[in-house]
Amino acid sequence: MITRDLVLAALFAAIIVALGLLPPITLGFIPVPITAQSLGVMLAGVVLGSKRGTAAVLLVLLLAAIGLPVLSGGRGGLAVFAAPTTGYLIGWVFAAFVTGYIAEHFVDRSQTGLVQGVNFFLAALIGGVVVLYAFGITYLALVTGLGFSKAFLGSLAFIPGDCFKAVIAALAGRAVMVGYPLLPQRA
Amino acid sequence: MKTLYVEGDSLLHRLPPRAKLLGLAAAGIALFFFRSIPPLALAALLCAAIYASLGIGLRHSFARLRPIFLTIAVVALFTLLVGSTEEAATVLLRLTSLMLLAAAVTAATGIGDFIDEITLAARPLERIGLVKAADIGLSIGLVIRFVPEILDRYRAIKDAHYARGLKPRILTLAVPLIILTLKNADEIAAAIDARGIRTQK
Repeated sequence: MITRDLVLAALFAAIIVALGLLPPITLGFIPVPITAQSLGVMLAGVVLGSKRGTAAVLLVLLLAAIGLPVLSGGRGGLAVFAAPTTGYLIGWVFAAFVTGYIAEHFVDRSQTGLVQGVNFFLAALIGGVVVLYAFGITYLALVTGLGFSKAFLGSLAFIPGDCFKAVIAALAGRAVMVGYPLLPQRA
Repeated sequence: MKTLYVEGDSLLHRLPPRAKLLGLAAAGIALFFFRSIPPLALAALLCAAIYASLGIGLRHSFARLRPIFLTIAVVALFTLLVGSTEEAATVLLRLTSLMLLAAAVTAATGIGDFIDEITLAARPLERIGLVKAADIGLSIGLVIRFVPEILDRYRAIKDAHYARGLKPRILTLAVPLIILTLKNADEIAAAIDARGIRTQK
């Protein structure tokens, strides 16, 4: 990693931490308050691509593990890795990677704005929702012995909020690409 | 940013950090082999005793543990609704023990000790060319340095919205925040390289 990539990953990790310090937003049509922090994970992939995005997320988890209260709601320390929802934290790493990988390969600067936006949305949706919940639900099912269908049922309430975040991530990803392109082009 | 480390001179404080981390990992695995309630209850009591030995105080401990305990309680309640009482008690005791032990290790180990351990653990990865061990400490420092700056910038962008009579929206806040922050990357990288902090071998 060259120094610039390292700095970009560290700055984005700081953005993810800062997003966790903002109060959760309640949307009228979803019963669960949503935190901006998991939006930050999708944004890391969409803005920085797979490698640097994953590094940014890993860095946030590392900070949490060494005892800094960097996760939303002031959570931190090794105890967050001993919670039933730890699968979602592990899933963040893969979510950022998959989101970044899809964004790198399917979003091109020569595409029209609409196509870019849709591709960014699909990247954030597949990485930040499908992959994330696969990890989160599997972990919840195994650790608590709930079984997959029940763990899925328990997580259902959060999915609409995360789909909404994927839309925000897509719009923001496109806006950043226009304003200050950083996404590596591999398509 | 305030760390979750608590100053003290308990036995757990004095143990070497590696022993604490390995012990925690071993306990995490061992807890999943117990399936009946009595040994798990004993484990929970033991972990509570370890946590109490740090002398953090009841009220302060409650504030620290509440967010994670809430998720455990919600999951245990959900297990009770869809499963048996025994299953719910197992989940509650096992996860609470683990949480107490992990929180105790965090409270008794300083950030510097952790970074040293991580750097050491990253040496094998360095040999295969995946990461540079020294970069980990540097990156951690960079994040801690820039979080307050980003929060200031966030407030400035929000004020700019109000000054123009606009309602702050997540999208119009996030985009300028990301662009403004990442635009600094070149300068910071140049400063790091100019000081020779990341010497190339």
